[in-house]
Amino acid sequence: MNLTSDSKVIIQGFSEFISETNIVQMQAYGTNLVAGVNPGFGGQKQYNLPVFDLVEEVVAQFGTIDTTIICVHPYQVLDAALEAIASNIRQIIIISAGMPPLDMVQLLRKAEACETLIVGPNSPGIIVPGKILLGTQPSEFYTPGPVGIVSRSSTLTYEVARELTKAGLGQSISVSIGSDAIVGSSFLQWLQILDEDENTEAIVLVGQPGGGSEEAAARYITEAIDKPVIAYIAGRQVPPVKNWQQTGTLAAVIGRDPNFGTAQSKLTALKEAEVPVADRPSLIPELVRNELKVLAVG
Amino acid sequence: MDLLEYQVKEWFGNIGIPVLPSQRIDHPTDLKRLKIRYPVVLKSQVYAGERIHAGGVRIVETTIDAIAAAQTIFNLPIWGELPEVLLAETKYDSKQEFYLAVVLDTAVCRPVLLGCKEANIDWESAGEKLQYVVVEQEFSPFYARRLALKMGLQGALMQSVSNVVEKMYELFIQKDLDLVEINPLAVNAANEVMALNGKVSINERAIGRHPELAELAAKISQRHSSYKNNSKLKDLNGGDTQGKIGILGNGAGSIMATFDLVASLGGKPSHPLNLRHGLLTDTPPTSFGDRLNKGLNLLTADKSIQVILINLLGSIPQAEAAAQVIAKFIQDHHSHNRRESHIPYLVVRLAGSELNVAQDLFASVEHQGELVLVEDLDEAVAQAVRLAKPVTFQRVKVK
Repeated sequence: MNLTSDSKVIIQGFSEFISETNIVQMQAYGTNLVAGVNPGFGGQKQYNLPVFDLVEEVVAQFGTIDTTIICVHPYQVLDAALEAIASNIRQIIIISAGMPPLDMVQLLRKAEACETLIVGPNSPGIIVPGKILLGTQPSEFYTPGPVGIVSRSSTLTYEVARELTKAGLGQSISVSIGSDAIVGSSFLQWLQILDEDENTEAIVLVGQPGGGSEEAAARYITEAIDKPVIAYIAGRQVPPVKNWQQTGTLAAVIGRDPNFGTAQSKLTALKEAEVPVADRPSLIPELVRNELKVLAVG
Repeated sequence: MDLLEYQVKEWFGNIGIPVLPSQRIDHPTDLKRLKIRYPVVLKSQVYAGERIHAGGVRIVETTIDAIAAAQTIFNLPIWGELPEVLLAETKYDSKQEFYLAVVLDTAVCRPVLLGCKEANIDWESAGEKLQYVVVEQEFSPFYARRLALKMGLQGALMQSVSNVVEKMYELFIQKDLDLVEINPLAVNAANEVMALNGKVSINERAIGRHPELAELAAKISQRHSSYKNNSKLKDLNGGDTQGKIGILGNGAGSIMATFDLVASLGGKPSHPLNLRHGLLTDTPPTSFGDRLNKGLNLLTADKSIQVILINLLGSIPQAEAAAQVIAKFIQDHHSHNRRESHIPYLVVRLAGSELNVAQDLFASVEHQGELVLVEDLDEAVAQAVRLAKPVTFQRVKVK
């Protein structure tokens, strides 16, 4: 993952998912935005960026592009991402929400084959506080520091960042991997990145019901993560969504636990992994502080 | 969004999955012009399962019997749902029945093919009986043959079953489905297969790119007003909780966290509504402001809601327009007497530089305590719970 301020970044598409404020904020943060790609608007300037019709035109002019931020209409995301992969872009952040899941299945097959990192869809992207902003994360909630955040929910990512900042705890990297049922990068990948990141001393993992990624993360934390991890799981009191029954049925068939996908199953897995879990976002800073103290003493 | 059986069978027929000759019956007298031969099976077209046990499926031998049975079925609610149409279908003599499905498994991020040599599986023991194949790469018919062989089928039957699975997969991709199921797939004495019943669940996010589905969704929502108003809400909270605090937010995780916080303070949360996406019936697409407006009206229409807690954090598309929706809502209801018109309190939690515009706007809105503006989530929840507490009215003495 190239998260430095010299990494070259483009934006594909301008839709309701990104505003001028977001772009101005990214530029003010030092993100090296080189161009926008918006078919039909080639040669123009939009939001202060030169615009091209094709990604390959940008590559021809500026050389290798490290990251693209995709903000096109959800039904055009697959095409935009395939276009980026065809132009050898290996980091893709999908901001757009509402992408049909079968498109994502198709994109993942391609991304796996081409070793492309995909963050999202339905993600506000990544922020390295004080250094680079890739996406629509509201930077005002962040301050540089030692806490890494990895989350499945956009707004909860900022909620946690805001609580940490209020408590005087800064952040190293914050990523929301996207709150859709099918997303590109996983908790495991990001736990590994944060574990290796020298600026990160503690990690906050934010989960919610659905799927099995928190459980997988809990197992991975026991096996491979050396830094302290704090978790928060939203949706403990929310009755299960109707659609999950379907997943539940399928879970039974494929030999998964009948509790698969529930907040309870996630909490149990985290408990087994001895990961401290905050009851609400405002209690996270205290738990982080405890862990950092233990580190300082140890 | 699910389809009714007769719609599913139309799709099956079009794509080449074998279905019986059938006819849609809108009124019992339609049976006088029946083009298929007796004996005929009449089936209630409702979304609820367990039609057979409820008496919604009858075999009839003559027109007189058919009309009488149709009259009964048209007036027979199944789980509270009355059919608008029936399906009349030729009776089929099956010697064996199978279960087949294609489903999207979001945990492995791939479609999965399912098959069983028994129909109407008992889901408790499904793990032992059902066979499955994960479609790892681009689909090719060998995946379907792999499933049929795992089911223990051979020869011509293996081929005809895998052909059906192949068509199911084609439909699955073509129409953006979450699930396509055949239960049962009947096999007759001549080893011919026939889809006797089927289920299709359409992914709601894809409806907008299928004009015929968008049309269908609009029809469903017009017909079933309860579906239109509550389906998405019920999906999220698993039924009517009779809660007093409605929740609106700009992200699923955020509204879930808000729901938890309200519940842990002893409040009764209800109807969490995520404004980040449009609803099933929102074709063409909506703006954030539209969704906010709709959410406010839906919650206001629910008389059990005493407080609407709006949690907006970070950035939202068109922050100013959204704020104007809230301001207008307050202005519209400002003159009403709260107790008479059941207007809920609004607790609005706003944090984020983009939302400062909204904050300024609210500062200028005239209100009588029905709007509470808060920046901190815990405090917003505390306020909402406090406002939702039952008010003890003191009797005013009239002199």
